[in-house]
Amino acid sequence: MFPDLNSILSSSPDNFREREFILLSDRQADASFLIHHYLTFYLRARCKVCFLGLVQSFSHYSVVSQRLGVNLNQAKEKGQLVFLEGLKASPRVLLNEDTSDTTHTFDYLRSPCAELRGLFEFVCNSLSQGGSEAGGEPWAPPVLIIDDLSVLLSLGVSAGAILDFTHYCQATVCSQLQGSIVALVRCDDEEWDEESSSYLLKALTHQCSLSLRVEGLSTGYCRDIHGQVEIWRRGRAEENQRRVFQYKVHDKGASFFAPGTSRAVL
Amino acid sequence: MLLEVSERTQFGGVVIIRDTSSYSGRHLLKYYINCALKREEDVHVLGFEVPEQELRAGLDSNYMHLFHFHNAYIDPLGWTKQSSFTVKQFNTADVTRLVREIQHAKASILVIDSLSWVIRHHNPVAICQQLQELKRGGSVRMIFGLLHTDLHQQGIVDSISHLASTVISVTSVNHAHNAVAKTMHRKKSGKVMREEEFFTVKDDLTLSVEKRPSQSGHVQMQPDTKADPMSNLTFNLRLSEVERVAKEKVALPFVFSQEKKSALLKQSQGSGRIIYEPDASDDFDEEDPDDDLDV
Repeated sequence: MFPDLNSILSSSPDNFREREFILLSDRQADASFLIHHYLTFYLRARCKVCFLGLVQSFSHYSVVSQRLGVNLNQAKEKGQLVFLEGLKASPRVLLNEDTSDTTHTFDYLRSPCAELRGLFEFVCNSLSQGGSEAGGEPWAPPVLIIDDLSVLLSLGVSAGAILDFTHYCQATVCSQLQGSIVALVRCDDEEWDEESSSYLLKALTHQCSLSLRVEGLSTGYCRDIHGQVEIWRRGRAEENQRRVFQYKVHDKGASFFAPGTSRAVL
Repeated sequence: MLLEVSERTQFGGVVIIRDTSSYSGRHLLKYYINCALKREEDVHVLGFEVPEQELRAGLDSNYMHLFHFHNAYIDPLGWTKQSSFTVKQFNTADVTRLVREIQHAKASILVIDSLSWVIRHHNPVAICQQLQELKRGGSVRMIFGLLHTDLHQQGIVDSISHLASTVISVTSVNHAHNAVAKTMHRKKSGKVMREEEFFTVKDDLTLSVEKRPSQSGHVQMQPDTKADPMSNLTFNLRLSEVERVAKEKVALPFVFSQEKKSALLKQSQGSGRIIYEPDASDDFDEEDPDDDLDV
């Protein structure tokens, strides 16, 4: 996790808001460093995490989390982390080789049924079981992390089906289980139509409680500043505020600073 | 006009609150729900988008027995078999039955949060039909609907707005918690009234309306009393009457006025006549090529 970001959001592993729907998005930049932040943050906070890894393998996240000080293998063994390896399982499902019960989770890969109900049931089962650490203390409220939702659009799932899925996840994880959701949506600069990722992003913005939008700098590539992130807390009438920070990703973390105050400039 | 919307006593009114992701119209919607509760009317909410406790927060607790939340948030599509109200039940018959089942007070208000959710799962034409039937059905006095304009095509937004007697579009002002509402109200006589107001809805659901924002981001207009620029000069720029008349008489050099035109077109008598005798190979056309010019 990134200490800079924690202080900006006024949260820490001991003290964070519950029932949040955090929407991460990017446009011509890569917001996946924020996914690593939230994964390590919630694991440090002793939450039970269900991670839907649809674009990278488990070892990728494991290596990065190691650098941030969290051991994913250990978390998996303890039962704290439930990891869905989308990349590994998809070819087996597509080629009809896997005949176990779990293929219901990947129903969205089979046409004509492009529904995410199976995936939702997987999430439900992994998070509602509760469970506890070996020492007997129950885990903190569950967290669902999705990396990422826009790849589902490319796999043939309609935007409406994705929105139904996120609605159900929010109803179950946030309202019933008092947990949080972190979801990443990646946008290209495509035309706005009802099946594009921009539409998905707009619809999810209505639902979310905190939105972090990552963009490259409008002036182009810079070695010392990798981009800017707009942090927008939605929700209650008096809380509506947007703040912009610039960031730089290092080997072992990322630093965030107010625009124009990069260490290379000052 | 924002404050008057809930006070109208006509039957069959439809109010659509249109919002975008930059400012949620739900705060205004909750204000109207609160007003209806205080007037002791039954409020039936078809809640698709937010959970019950979020919608209840801030409402007047003395009238909670009149607030009926039909939970379509937990299981709107029947996936977990815990559904209380599914999106498929959004039709005139089912909604009317729901409203009539619990009718304590004199009139009922129906609130749909939100119409955008319903449009995603139903044909927009069917929704328009059902809203029209509910409007005329007589079981509800007013229908309030929340619509997210940035999630639909313009045609769908316009069709639904067309059904409404009042359309309130809310947007944020400079990302602050002030917002501006453009209200359009269509009276039964056909007259359309429009108004633009700045408003804020606080957490306790009090609405404050201003004509212009408290921190105006606009530049102040120049004061009307201008100083006379010709008063403190060392030379004289003013014109006397004679000078002013002479000035107005001057013919400007490149302006094509009536006098110049007649001077140019006047045929000169005497000297200056041109006599042209064409050769055998000349193609002499008697027609004037400039005949069609309107000079």
